Amino acid sequence: MAYSLQRFSFKAMGSNCDIQLFSDSRITAKQLAQALIDEIERLEAKYSRFRSDSLISFINTQSNHNLAIELDTETIALLDHALSCFKQSDELFDITAGCLSRLWDFKAATMPPPAAIADALNHVGLQKLSWENSTLKMPAGMELDFGGIVKEYAADCAATLARSRGCQAGLVNLGGDVAVIGPHPQTTVWPIGIVNPNDNDGVMAKLDLQFGGLASSGDYARYFVHAGNRYSHILNPKTGWPCRGLRAVSVAASLCTVAGSMATIAMLKDEQDAISWLEDSGVAFVYMTQAGVCGSGS
Amino acid sequence: MKAKTSHSLIALSTTALALPGIAIADAPPVESTLSYKISNYKEDDLDREESPFGDLGRYDIDVHQFQLITPIGRDFSLQIDANYEDLSGASPWFTTLGPDGSPVVNLSGASGIQDRRAELSIGSRYYLENGSIGGNIGYSEEDDYRATYGSLSGERHFNNDLTTVSIGMSYSADDIFPVDAEIFGRVVSENKSSTSAVINISQIINQVSTAQVALSVTQQAGFLTDPYKLRDTRPDEKTQIAVSTSYRRYIRSADAAWHVNYRYYDDDFGVSSQTIDMSWHQNLGRRFQLIPTLRYYSQSAANFFTNVDNFLRPETELQSSDYRLSAFGAVSGGLSFKANMGNWTTTLTAERYIANDKYSAHEVQLPSTALVKYFRVSAGVDFSF
Repeated sequence: MAYSLQRFSFKAMGSNCDIQLFSDSRITAKQLAQALIDEIERLEAKYSRFRSDSLISFINTQSNHNLAIELDTETIALLDHALSCFKQSDELFDITAGCLSRLWDFKAATMPPPAAIADALNHVGLQKLSWENSTLKMPAGMELDFGGIVKEYAADCAATLARSRGCQAGLVNLGGDVAVIGPHPQTTVWPIGIVNPNDNDGVMAKLDLQFGGLASSGDYARYFVHAGNRYSHILNPKTGWPCRGLRAVSVAASLCTVAGSMATIAMLKDEQDAISWLEDSGVAFVYMTQAGVCGSGS
Repeated sequence: MKAKTSHSLIALSTTALALPGIAIADAPPVESTLSYKISNYKEDDLDREESPFGDLGRYDIDVHQFQLITPIGRDFSLQIDANYEDLSGASPWFTTLGPDGSPVVNLSGASGIQDRRAELSIGSRYYLENGSIGGNIGYSEEDDYRATYGSLSGERHFNNDLTTVSIGMSYSADDIFPVDAEIFGRVVSENKSSTSAVINISQIINQVSTAQVALSVTQQAGFLTDPYKLRDTRPDEKTQIAVSTSYRRYIRSADAAWHVNYRYYDDDFGVSSQTIDMSWHQNLGRRFQLIPTLRYYSQSAANFFTNVDNFLRPETELQSSDYRLSAFGAVSGGLSFKANMGNWTTTLTAERYIANDKYSAHEVQLPSTALVKYFRVSAGVDFSF
């Protein structure tokens, strides 16, 4: 059988996902794809907030009792990365901000009472946690949400695993978060279309990826308009209010995890601040402002 | 502003690279590999001018190499190597002056030498989060030579796996018991030992280039003389130092990689040498690779080298006419072809080597008559399962 592109589609982490592998055997490619899917599902089962049997649900339940929780290496490394995101975003990217999103009902487009926001903010702030000597200490009532990191991390893990199994060309795409296994053998680059926030079937821009990863963040579907203002589903953990920054941003970086963290941080910043922060960072990016203006940089 | 944001990218990349699924621990092989390689090494015959009497045929060696590398459990690997060599031909026995006053060489016995060598070694590695440790033991035997050896090594990755430092130690105890010792008045039984230490640092410079530097020190002690030469007396200790460096660069536009290696060697026999070699690893599609190689070598002579054996000097005085201790230069060129067919990889190699005192970059006071030229061809196959 000739060396060709094999494609495997599946659903994971609440997204449509696909794995593309260049291989000379459909059987080998299928075995490899299954190993990558197993790895992605392992991370979903461990870190999903929506599964009562996940490690994250366990941690969040335990924290109500003010206990110290023993952590494994992977979770410690994810917390370390979350802390790095927290510091580099001037405390805007906060994995403890999950409780705020329950206050906002984007479908009903109503605003929560200010007292409820103020109360929830008492339970937000990554700086209140400590995980020295692999023991997590988290004040009662606080919750962790790795949702903004784990999908990108899973894409990188799958790509790393594929390379360690000898695969040299391919792509892992978890709902728009993309990690390249190795350069496209014919064209060198993988052209990645970026969805237009105004039109879910339309493409806003195209980025060519040879190595590394690409991740996007945006208020594509979940937002509401109140008193003429468009509110994103992305919440500012300092105010408890939705951000009014960029509509969408995509970042290409050496790792999907880095791209995802940068895209999320950019979405949390004010529009102009976000654009200059991205411009100074040296990564390739495309964005759309609230006014619908598109731009890019690298 | 600029410094702060590029700092952000570095900070985010640093913690992301520390995530265990991305910074995959040094992993043992996930599949087993069984390899077999057959090589033929054939030295050119001497000219009648170089050796007026006796046999002109020099060494002709067939080598069979088997290797198995296999994972054991999650953290260990096992490696077994078995080699078998079949050697025939003759080697320089003594040197004299020829009819025109220039040195000539006499090869050992008209019937030459027939010998076989068998070697077995077993090693294992244990893989840790940031490196691995391993060791091996081996045994080699031929009609007149026996070696027992062992080694230990450790390797550790630093700097987000961009830097790897490895250190190793090895020891070999060898016994020498020449054939026909009584007929020719050779030593009956002797031994020597060899201890080596090596440190190696490799650095990934960027996505397309890597560099490496290694330092090794070897101490030999015991019987270092060639018992088959009519007159050969060498010191019973030898210290060798070698520094090697290598640089590899992938050239994307050519879909090829450029390898350059340089090695400097020095020992207290007085031999000092330099080697530079270059190879071009050209990918041809995704299955094939063509690798031309060029090498240049030059060495100085040992302090006690002579190109005409002096039988009048006492046997205790150091002297040797071994061409490997003379000052000479050598050039060699080779071509390898690799084909990768799923689980099978086949490698074919041909190499031509020519040593000549005129090629030397070092001063040649006494040119050796017995310098070799050889052809080496090999065919190998690897099977992964």
